[in-house]
Amino acid sequence: MRWTEKYRPKIFDDIIGNGKQKKEVETWVTNWKEGKPQQCLLLVGPAGTGKTTFAHVIANEFSDFIELNASDKRSYDIIMNTVGESATTKSFFTGENNYRLIILDEVDGIHGTDDRGGTRAIGKIIKDSIHPIVMTANDFYSKRLTTIKTKCKVIKIGKVHTNSINALLKRICVKEGIGADPEAVRVLAKGANGDMRSALNILQAIAEDSKKLRMSDLEIVSQKDNTNNIFDSVRRVLKSKSIDKIKNSLILDEDPTFVMEYIAENIPREYEKDSEIKKAYDMISEADLYFGRAQQSRNYTYWRYASDLMGVGVASSKEKTYKKFTRLTGAMAFSLMSRTRGKRSLRDKISEKMSEKLHMSNNVAISMFPYFEIMFENDDVAYDIATFLDLDEDEIKRFRKRKIPKSVIKRKEKERQEYLAKNKLESKSEENLPDSFKTIKSPSQDKSSEKSVTSPSKAKKSNNSKKLDESKTKQQESSDNLIISDNVENYKKNNNSKENNNSFVESKGNGSEVDNDSIAENKNNTSKKDSSSKKDNDSKKTKEDSAQKSLFNF
Amino acid sequence: MNGPWVEKYRPKTLDDVVGQRHIIEHLENYVEEESMPNLMFTGPAGVGKTTTALALVKTILGEYWRQNFLELNASDARGIETVRTNIKNFCRLKPVGAPFRIVFLDEVDNMTKDAQHALRREMEMYTKTASFILSCNYSSKIIDPIQSRCAIFRFAPIKGQDIAKRLEYISEQENIDYDESAIEIIVYFAEGDMRKALNLLQAASSGEGKITEDKIYNVVSKARPKDINDMITKALTCDFMGARDLLRETMVLQGTSGEDMVNQIYQDVTKRAMEGNMDNEVYIDLIEAIADSDFRIREGANPRIQLEALLTKFL
Repeated sequence: MRWTEKYRPKIFDDIIGNGKQKKEVETWVTNWKEGKPQQCLLLVGPAGTGKTTFAHVIANEFSDFIELNASDKRSYDIIMNTVGESATTKSFFTGENNYRLIILDEVDGIHGTDDRGGTRAIGKIIKDSIHPIVMTANDFYSKRLTTIKTKCKVIKIGKVHTNSINALLKRICVKEGIGADPEAVRVLAKGANGDMRSALNILQAIAEDSKKLRMSDLEIVSQKDNTNNIFDSVRRVLKSKSIDKIKNSLILDEDPTFVMEYIAENIPREYEKDSEIKKAYDMISEADLYFGRAQQSRNYTYWRYASDLMGVGVASSKEKTYKKFTRLTGAMAFSLMSRTRGKRSLRDKISEKMSEKLHMSNNVAISMFPYFEIMFENDDVAYDIATFLDLDEDEIKRFRKRKIPKSVIKRKEKERQEYLAKNKLESKSEENLPDSFKTIKSPSQDKSSEKSVTSPSKAKKSNNSKKLDESKTKQQESSDNLIISDNVENYKKNNNSKENNNSFVESKGNGSEVDNDSIAENKNNTSKKDSSSKKDNDSKKTKEDSAQKSLFNF
Repeated sequence: MNGPWVEKYRPKTLDDVVGQRHIIEHLENYVEEESMPNLMFTGPAGVGKTTTALALVKTILGEYWRQNFLELNASDARGIETVRTNIKNFCRLKPVGAPFRIVFLDEVDNMTKDAQHALRREMEMYTKTASFILSCNYSSKIIDPIQSRCAIFRFAPIKGQDIAKRLEYISEQENIDYDESAIEIIVYFAEGDMRKALNLLQAASSGEGKITEDKIYNVVSKARPKDINDMITKALTCDFMGARDLLRETMVLQGTSGEDMVNQIYQDVTKRAMEGNMDNEVYIDLIEAIADSDFRIREGANPRIQLEALLTKFL
């Protein structure tokens, strides 16, 4: 049995340290018992100081309790299902003062994405509950606590004093029959840095079997990493100049680039002189460079330089330590990212459509946005581009505030319908052909169009006066162009989808099936080709109809 | 279909490709021989890398080019996973009706090193059935093993006169009236980037009437994010926090890439200096700082952090 469980206090009197807080909690419990509902309790403090112990001791005072801790998944639904109902209902058989205690352990550990809606659920339970609630958390400044903590009675549980831990360890040594060197016990107590759990665990690890505790034993078990709160570290870097302290404070259980963002964020909040900000940011930029190099080369020893640059480097950029209280904030760039998620996803949706149709990367597509904003001021152009890119209403709104006037859409659509209808008459004879024939025919049609593209454009070089010819070519090209993008799309789909013909054929895997593949793909493309042949007709038509060519590009 | 002109007027054949004559001639040899090595097209944006690749693919693969062609651009997922499944699946199949199959990968310099290494294996394994065309802005970001497996073609910025000719041609196609000087201005701002030139032209033509110099200036100033100007003004007047907020908004919300930011900052600073609003010494210090940030961003540092640091130099 773990000693931390074995010696976990069962009643208030056994709890070590935090005397004042103990009293507050006791009053809170008594009030409940006397039928006076109290605000819910939020116990905040570092690890191993007895928050969970407090919660369980309180639980012993009530007839029943439910607990939900970090090891459980805590999304909105789960919290509501497990705790939500019992929070608002009372047992039928129990008396008036028989409350059921609700314990929510480590509420700051509710995960943003995995436990979606978790904080919201807790807020709701706090509001609706008729039972006492106790919550615990490590980090008072956690974002997830901002809404919760205003509705709670917050009790800060402090680190337990070294002497108290020392006394506790001695007592346990006696009970377990351990021959302990008092000096070693003292060192152990001090090293625990207020964390009783850690001290007990180490003691058990060393002395449970050997029944001895000597100084030399302490060397083999490493002390718990003193992970710091990120804000403490940032504050240390900005306020201190002692290399030793700064380096220690940067031993954190966080992604170092994340810590760097926090430090960078708060540099201009703490430092006042421009020269200091400049110097400090120089250090950040240098650190960032090494983080980049580390990632690229997978050589993570670079991290130590980065860490020194962003820690000691930033710290020594100040001329003097400012004697003021600075409200530190989290990295705003991150919160900006989460705030603008909707806008960014709209942006990405548009750029994805563009990248597919226009053969460009998202970045290049985004760089075209400002031009689109100008082009979209013109109703007709807006309609054309939106149709070309298949943009929906929200996406159009990204480029122009007004909707495209209905009259314009109507006119444009009518033009298109008329045009298609005209075209249909002409292409009817072809459409009556059997499918198989069409499949064979269409590629060769493509070829002919391709050839006709080539020849006049060659002529263009020698003779500029053949502009009429060229204009025809252009029409063909633009329709041809659609086919390209259609096919690229088609190809991508083919390659991505699991039921795709490629992989089906391939699983049988040999040369003779390759033909099958092409047939399959041809079939896949048949519909596309149909439309492509139509487009070819479109362009032929356009030659005759040159006056209206710019209107009828469909 | 009257979509964006960058697509509508994309040259369809090698012959039509604007500029890059020496490269096109080489590529035409491949067409004649019906075989080609793996190719790498490198060069700045908008000089015709993708266009050339598409035109080459169509010419060399003939009528069945669609069946034998795979295009993956930078916005498609291109992690190791894609390289190992999609590209592999494609390369494994025999070409149909064409001498070989072609895989076109855009902006390879944005692929991770790991994905590049995976890619290199594919390039080796399927030399018989498939050729690769890779395009990138900076060949220095491509791992050596890939570079050594490719014939590298360096695309230069398109010459001003070539851009001008193309713009005039398109204007005639679209029945647009233009001033000669307006074309000149577009060419000046395009800096050899055909995509930019076409976007400028189309944006300027979406208003009423003839395209004039003023209209181009108007588009240029509208299209250039105002935020950059404001940001630099704020930084120069020692409002670092304000400038930093603007920087983040531009980068996070609008999604402007680090590279674009550096370009725009450079242009804005230069403009200020040219208009006599900045001492030579201050100017050259800033240029040094900008150059340094640019270098670091290319080295793989976090662009936003680097640019935040750059802003402190303006204080």
